[in-house]
Amino acid sequence: MESLKLKKITALWVITILVLFLAAIVLGILMRLNQAEVINQEPLTFYTNMTTHGLTMIGIWFVAGMAAVNYLLQRYVKTSYTANLFAFILTVLGVVLLWLCTYLGKFNTGWTFLYPLPFKDLGAAPWATPLFLVALTILGLGWLVWSVSMMAKILQRYTLAQAFAWQHLSKQPKSETPPFILITMITLVGVIAALIAAVIVIVLFFAEYFSKGSFVNDALLMKNLIYFFGHTIANEMLYLGVAVIYEIFGELSGRPKWKTTWYVSLAWNSALIFILTAFFHHLYMDFVQPEGLQIIGQLASYLASLPSVAVTVFSIIVAIYGVRIQWSITNCLFFLGVIGWVIGGLGAVIDATISNNIVLHNTLWVPAHFHTYNAMGNVLFSLGFFYWFTTQHVSKLVISKLTKFALIVLIISGIGFLMAFYIGGADSIPRRYSTYPEALTTGPALARMGAYFACLYLLVILMFFYNIAKRCFAILSAPSSSVGA
Amino acid sequence: MKQDSILLFFCLLAITATIVFVWVFRSSIKAEERTPGIKNALQKRFWFLLILVVVFGIFASVTLPKSPYFAFAEEVPAKVIHVAALQFSFFLSEKSIDPKSPSGDNIELPLNKVVEFRVTSLDVNHGFAIYNPQMRIVTQTQAMPGYINRLRYKFTKPGIYHVLCLEYCGVGHPVMQTTFIVK
Repeated sequence: MESLKLKKITALWVITILVLFLAAIVLGILMRLNQAEVINQEPLTFYTNMTTHGLTMIGIWFVAGMAAVNYLLQRYVKTSYTANLFAFILTVLGVVLLWLCTYLGKFNTGWTFLYPLPFKDLGAAPWATPLFLVALTILGLGWLVWSVSMMAKILQRYTLAQAFAWQHLSKQPKSETPPFILITMITLVGVIAALIAAVIVIVLFFAEYFSKGSFVNDALLMKNLIYFFGHTIANEMLYLGVAVIYEIFGELSGRPKWKTTWYVSLAWNSALIFILTAFFHHLYMDFVQPEGLQIIGQLASYLASLPSVAVTVFSIIVAIYGVRIQWSITNCLFFLGVIGWVIGGLGAVIDATISNNIVLHNTLWVPAHFHTYNAMGNVLFSLGFFYWFTTQHVSKLVISKLTKFALIVLIISGIGFLMAFYIGGADSIPRRYSTYPEALTTGPALARMGAYFACLYLLVILMFFYNIAKRCFAILSAPSSSVGA
Repeated sequence: MKQDSILLFFCLLAITATIVFVWVFRSSIKAEERTPGIKNALQKRFWFLLILVVVFGIFASVTLPKSPYFAFAEEVPAKVIHVAALQFSFFLSEKSIDPKSPSGDNIELPLNKVVEFRVTSLDVNHGFAIYNPQMRIVTQTQAMPGYINRLRYKFTKPGIYHVLCLEYCGVGHPVMQTTFIVK
């Protein structure tokens, strides 16, 4: 079904992602330990770690979703190996440059690099900001080519209307669009829109950089553009994970494959609009932003959750409830991931309510909810895919006692390290503080709790890494005849 | 405090969601071979979606009017405080602040009267979060270069209030704070 080359490049993606993931978790733990006053880092070190942690996590879980979707897309269309390889090379190059910026150049704006912070005195090397923009350009180029290539391949096989499953809106559709194609298409449109916004942002940054003061950007416009890009790309990576679940949850569980219906089509098509307008919730506290956009932000944030969470979650419940299915490590991780996704979504919807945001904005509530649907949601979707990808046989995904124990530890560690964030958020502890002022008494204790539970999480991920990486190396070193069994 | 209700509400929702998922999982583990599962799944999913839309609609119509943009909009503020944020300090003054040589005053604000903060930044984006004497956020806005955000609030408890920066603005971000008195 899939070519050997595709299998090898996917294995390469998986190993790269997992290695970077482990490094980024360690950085996260160091940050929490510093806030806990267990270690004592210079603020500059803390903030370069924070910037590296954020950029790396966003980047790797986005490409994890893309690599998984690319792999499964092969079931329907022939995808471009060259575009995949091109994206891999540019991603590695971009990440190396970003790490150079942060660790050699001391670039420390946070992953959101809000204008005009990159142009101000950061304690960073003068070359760090232009190199950061170059690194973003390289990543953006690789991902844009990859996304456009996948979309083009879908449109070679399906008409535009079919790719968006519009025929399902009529009573008797003449053809069928698999949910995987529909969700991939919707997601790719969002990804491409976000990457185009990134191009505009980079051009505007460079324009000011080279103008030597004769051209100055508008801070509100830049903030809108940066969050349109940043929020959308961070959101779309979840949908890439969802597309994977739609494709393989049924077959792994021994249940019928999910089908597109009229409201699945309607829900995902309207989701596209909501996904692209939900980013306004990042600007709720900018009162100069037109009020209409703020209200759109709240409504879009609510409505964006309907198709993805409600349709997907209900589909999973329907597939499982009262049915004896084959529980493997992959669908266990998918199932746990969906729970994390839903709970993180609840935290997000609460924060996306303007009247709550006034007391939660930029407190630890923000990392609380995004770590819930990432560390305990999207990451588990991808790990589930990695397990499935490296075995390809349901029988090899049987859950051993050790794995069961690891999953329980994963849940406990997740609850512990996330509750430290949620309680901190409710206690008005700000996010992105290297150390807490004395008046914020609960900050250090919660950080300690978070760090210790995150260490447990790291241990479980190390075990998963060992299991997955050794199989990936086997795929990479295997002769062509033995791969793809 | 509002934050405690939010945390409680979140925990209740999260626990409910977890119970539903555990219940579904157990039903799968306990199920006999070849059971049909949920009947009329499509119909049930439709109703589930419809109920969610209605719940969200109610939630939005209740919460949107409470948005800070509409707070005390009809009232005339008893005091106007100009705020300029600059890496890594705040200047608060009852007079306009000169961006070229910003300076601030000690601020005392009246109890139970509407106060308007006109918040801007002289360099990068900052946050302007007001913490009550118990160190809980009561309100906030952003300080953005080139723009003035008008934040209105009525203080109902006397004491020393802290202002903390809540937007990452550089390595001095966590030390960027000031205080004012309400009496």
